[in-house]
Amino acid sequence: MLVLSAALLAAFLLMTVQVREQSDVPVAIKQFLLTSVSPLITVTALVGHGVASVWYDYIDLRRVHRENRRLQAEVFALRRRIDALQEGAEETRRLRQLLHLQETLSEPVAAARVIGKDPTNWFRTLVIDKGSRHGIRRNMPVIAVDGLVGRVVDVTPHTAKIQLVTDPLSSVGILVERTRVTGILAGDLAAPARIKYLPLMADVAVEDRVITSGMGGVFPKGIPVGTIRAVERRNGALFEDATVRPAVDFSRLEEVLVLREPPPELRPPNPVEGARR
Amino acid sequence: MIAFLAGLLGVCTVQSSVVPHLGIRGIAPDFFLVLTLATAVTVAPELATVMGFLSGLFQDALSGGPLGLHAFSLSLVAFLASRASLHLEADRLHGRFLLLLAGGILSGLVSLAAWNFFLGPRPILPALEAVVVPEAVYTALSGMLVLALPGLAHRLTERWS
Repeated sequence: MLVLSAALLAAFLLMTVQVREQSDVPVAIKQFLLTSVSPLITVTALVGHGVASVWYDYIDLRRVHRENRRLQAEVFALRRRIDALQEGAEETRRLRQLLHLQETLSEPVAAARVIGKDPTNWFRTLVIDKGSRHGIRRNMPVIAVDGLVGRVVDVTPHTAKIQLVTDPLSSVGILVERTRVTGILAGDLAAPARIKYLPLMADVAVEDRVITSGMGGVFPKGIPVGTIRAVERRNGALFEDATVRPAVDFSRLEEVLVLREPPPELRPPNPVEGARR
Repeated sequence: MIAFLAGLLGVCTVQSSVVPHLGIRGIAPDFFLVLTLATAVTVAPELATVMGFLSGLFQDALSGGPLGLHAFSLSLVAFLASRASLHLEADRLHGRFLLLLAGGILSGLVSLAAWNFFLGPRPILPALEAVVVPEAVYTALSGMLVLALPGLAHRLTERWS
């Protein structure tokens, strides 16, 4: 019982210190643990891709072997080459889109691959293969070709953790593109994301596009976030909610761009505003 | 303990890079829980608590939630599983399934309670419906399958030899 009490107390203290006091100690512990396993995660992701392609080729090989052994071997080799070329072409297409997006952005960006996803069903995060050594810092916005992905929440020298916009702890200032109504987009366990604190009778409709509002200082204005799927007005409520279908398909996300604009707390003070004070 | 730590590193990599692809409607099995319960029923409650704490700590480090959330729930679940192991038929299929299912539901409820305390109120019924119950069932089924593999391999090896 003593060991159980000690473990529960330690976990309780960790959560208290992190949530209430905003201490750096739990962050340092998280970074240490993440740094210790991130090389294994990177290698496993690469091996997994290789194993999957061998497995599918084996199934093809078996099917072709029933027809003709000699031609099956040739088809096997040609299929692997085609698969490799198709995967390369698809990757090239995605990277070209990212490059075009990168070139149209005024902020410096870092392209990164997704190597891992959240190991729980409570939160929605990704792990990418770039970290502090590539100029990544906490609170940097992350985007994909289709729109907003999230923000950086944890960084190690070689990896970073991204909190998706669908994470229940995520909050993004948004506005509805058509009517300029503003709100807060928050992740949800049941729905992908919800816009909260919409004024009652606000002019929002299904299929309206939602973009970032730029409020809050983390996400630049104008990044596509998603489209409205449904609007909910409850009796007696002060605000209405809307569920949003994210612009980005997170289940198929393989590459992202990190906008390396300094987070608000690291930006140098505005000399004009400083003089006015 | 060394085998547990090696298994923990393996679960860390697999849970992050492979298991998300097995998700059904956004819910994936929790192999941190499977590892914790599989080892908890074979050791004393104190050691099981430490194992649960370590598993939860690593799971929290890889996750987007606060450090300590799953360390809290898995410590408690591991302790209870170890204490109850004498009464459970954990080496049988139905016993494993019930252990994993009950452990999953308890872990989910404790995590939800901790979340409500530290991160603000969250509706309980939608969380149960969307995460706790589906995760517990999927984890129980997957864990039962994975834990049966060594025994199956052993029987096949004996038959061939």
